[in-house]
Amino acid sequence: MKHRLHRRTFTKLSLLSGGALVVPAIGAAPVRASNGFVLSADDRMLIETFAEAMLPTEGTSLKPQSEVPIADNVAHALALLDDPVLEQVRLGFKLFDYGAFLVGFHFKRFVNLSIEQRVDYIHRWEDGIATQRGIVDLLKKLTYLGYWKDLEAARAIGYLGPVSVAGGVPNLGNAPMPPSDPKP
Amino acid sequence: MNDAPPILRVTQPNDIPDAGLDLVADVVVIGSGASGAVMAYELSRDGAKVVVLEAGPYLPSTEFTEHTPTAFETLYQDHGNQTNTTGDLIVLQGKCIGGSTVVNAAACFRTPDQVLEHWRTEHGLENLSPEALAPYFEKVERNLSIHQNEPHEVNYNGRLLLEGAAKLGIPASPATRNVKNCALSGHCLAACRTDRKQSMLVTYLPWASELGATILSGTRAETFEVNGRRITAVNAVATGAEGREKPVRVEAGLVVVAAGPIQTPLLFQKNELANSSGQIGLNFACHPSLAVLGEHASSIYAWVGASITAHAGDVENPLLGGYLIEAAAAGPVSTSSSVDGGVGPDFVDFMQRSKNMQSAVTLIHDHNVGRVYLGDDGQKKIEYDLDDRDFESLRRALRGTARIYFAAGAKRVFLPTTRRTTIESADEIDSVIKSLTNGKHKYRLTSYHPQGTMRMGADPTKSVVAPDGRCHDLDNVYVPDASLFPSSIMVNPQVTVYAMASYIADEIKARG
Ligand SMILES: Cc1cc2nc3c(=O)[nH]c(=O)nc-3n(C[C@H](O)[C@H](O)[C@H](O)COP(=O)(O)OP(=O)(O)OC[C@H]3O[C@@H](n4cnc5c(N)ncnc54)[C@H](O)[C@@H]3O)c2cc1C
Repeated sequence: MKHRLHRRTFTKLSLLSGGALVVPAIGAAPVRASNGFVLSADDRMLIETFAEAMLPTEGTSLKPQSEVPIADNVAHALALLDDPVLEQVRLGFKLFDYGAFLVGFHFKRFVNLSIEQRVDYIHRWEDGIATQRGIVDLLKKLTYLGYWKDLEAARAIGYLGPVSVAGGVPNLGNAPMPPSDPKP
Repeated sequence: MNDAPPILRVTQPNDIPDAGLDLVADVVVIGSGASGAVMAYELSRDGAKVVVLEAGPYLPSTEFTEHTPTAFETLYQDHGNQTNTTGDLIVLQGKCIGGSTVVNAAACFRTPDQVLEHWRTEHGLENLSPEALAPYFEKVERNLSIHQNEPHEVNYNGRLLLEGAAKLGIPASPATRNVKNCALSGHCLAACRTDRKQSMLVTYLPWASELGATILSGTRAETFEVNGRRITAVNAVATGAEGREKPVRVEAGLVVVAAGPIQTPLLFQKNELANSSGQIGLNFACHPSLAVLGEHASSIYAWVGASITAHAGDVENPLLGGYLIEAAAAGPVSTSSSVDGGVGPDFVDFMQRSKNMQSAVTLIHDHNVGRVYLGDDGQKKIEYDLDDRDFESLRRALRGTARIYFAAGAKRVFLPTTRRTTIESADEIDSVIKSLTNGKHKYRLTSYHPQGTMRMGADPTKSVVAPDGRCHDLDNVYVPDASLFPSSIMVNPQVTVYAMASYIADEIKARG
């Protein structure tokens, strides 16, 4: 089944590979949402249903996906984006959610698909045009960040998290100024 | 635990009166990263009164959390969300006192001779021969405790890279880093909590401060006052608590713009200055980097140990298709987001086995095909899509990495595509790599090394900055940051930046 969206001027999906999209968990100064962003009910539902499909943790050694506030973490992260980028991200969410409606999933939105259908739909977007690939990749990265920022979740796979303070490693302080540099 | 914060006197926005500040100095330096810090120290050492303006905040190391997501929020440009206009390349830069040096991975390389020779023949940089730069490399290597990793600093992940490369006859060695008694926390990219990484925060900036330099954080340079061929003053904005903005004006005889390869060209564009060549913002390159994971039967824990432990590849031949592979720490966020582990049960299974993953990132010499500019909407734009020639280099780098992994005993290799792509045996390497095609949103690309938007060269019609670091169009303005690289260098750039800034400082001193 073909499922092409028209190429749009959907130019700047922020693909956040590294990780700002996370709640500041460990004692850092909280970053204020300069744009007053609040995740809409639709967007929250999308994040949650996407995460259910991505991360079926039941019966595994991973922390249950339902016990990590993935959508809240994603909301916090989105609040850090500049308004124009955020607008495009939200447009991407809509395209993804309602795209299912258009491409033959019995007139259902993504959020209403079964888990198997959601996985199938994600794969279709992975194989789609650049815009689709960008949107589905953004949703994946948001899910990764929303989940793995949780230190308990990370520790369940053997990751140590912060170590220096817990391990009592002393600060070295500043390096001493070099005596007098010989002129090259 | 000795938790006394390292001493650095910084004027923070809340220290500035509401009416603002009006300062007079010999030199104003914009940006406190690799190049700005070196310039501030070298010129202070020469007796100049220096003021440093830094847009980012001041965080002493005692406030670093070793939690990468938090570090992205607090220490990185755009909270770690800076991308190209397509949205498929993250461009990482530090934005804090110390700039990118605070969050970098500490890998150190001298500029390859082949690159310097290219700069000489193609860009007229006769002055930057390996011999002429050698004393500058030696100096920064000494000042920053740069040395090759000791055996205990090479973790299992690094040893696997060395072993695999040795079996194939690919040159490889332990990495060289600017660290002192590394505590091996693996958290370089979240900034060094215990001051072992010799970033500008614990070296050149405190030294400059000790010599009298004034350092302002949270203070963004915005406009220049110009008189003929001179900038006479820099106007900046300090942003304090609750977003209150305070004006800061610095009048100085010499202006050093060291705001990094994205912000420096934007500042000049905004001020419509120094662009008679039309080259400002052009020639952007970024070493597009890809991660590759190799699954082994036993645990590796690549995230335990130094951030960069070893490297393999043809470092001496960047212009002839060489590539660099660096064994790198990868926690769960980067493991999941740098390659695609699949969807649903595949992904869960992949992450459960992530401790068994050998991990490395690739670097290539890319062509200067990008552009940085202010859009009509007033927003910065980084236009850069993978050039087909560079895609071929990336393919070679991926192939080389996969070969090393299988030689080291991996049973499967995960490629950095946006849809799960694996290589299941060494026999499959060529066919899988051959099936990869260039295109938008197909790869998980990250740039740690933006560069090249204020090209240095002898010809003022083709370059912005002269061989001595001064803007061709201005008499008292110098640019020492990574934007002046005439072409990309493939290796990690901090040492090149430190050495070039030291060299430019000497040129300024020699001019008097
Ligand atoms: C995550 C990461 C990992 C890296 N790993 C390595 C590595 O292992 N080895 C290596 O060699 N290199 C590495 N690098 C790259 C290296 O750190 C940079 O190439 C180098 O620091 C560039 O120096 P610079 O002076 O050009 O800019 P920066 O060090 O980035 O400094 C520029 C400073 O200017 C400030 N600024 C910008 N605009 C303004 C303004 N308008 N007013 C005032 N201040 C302003 C910025 O906030 C910033 O602090 C890494 C970089 C990153 C981000």
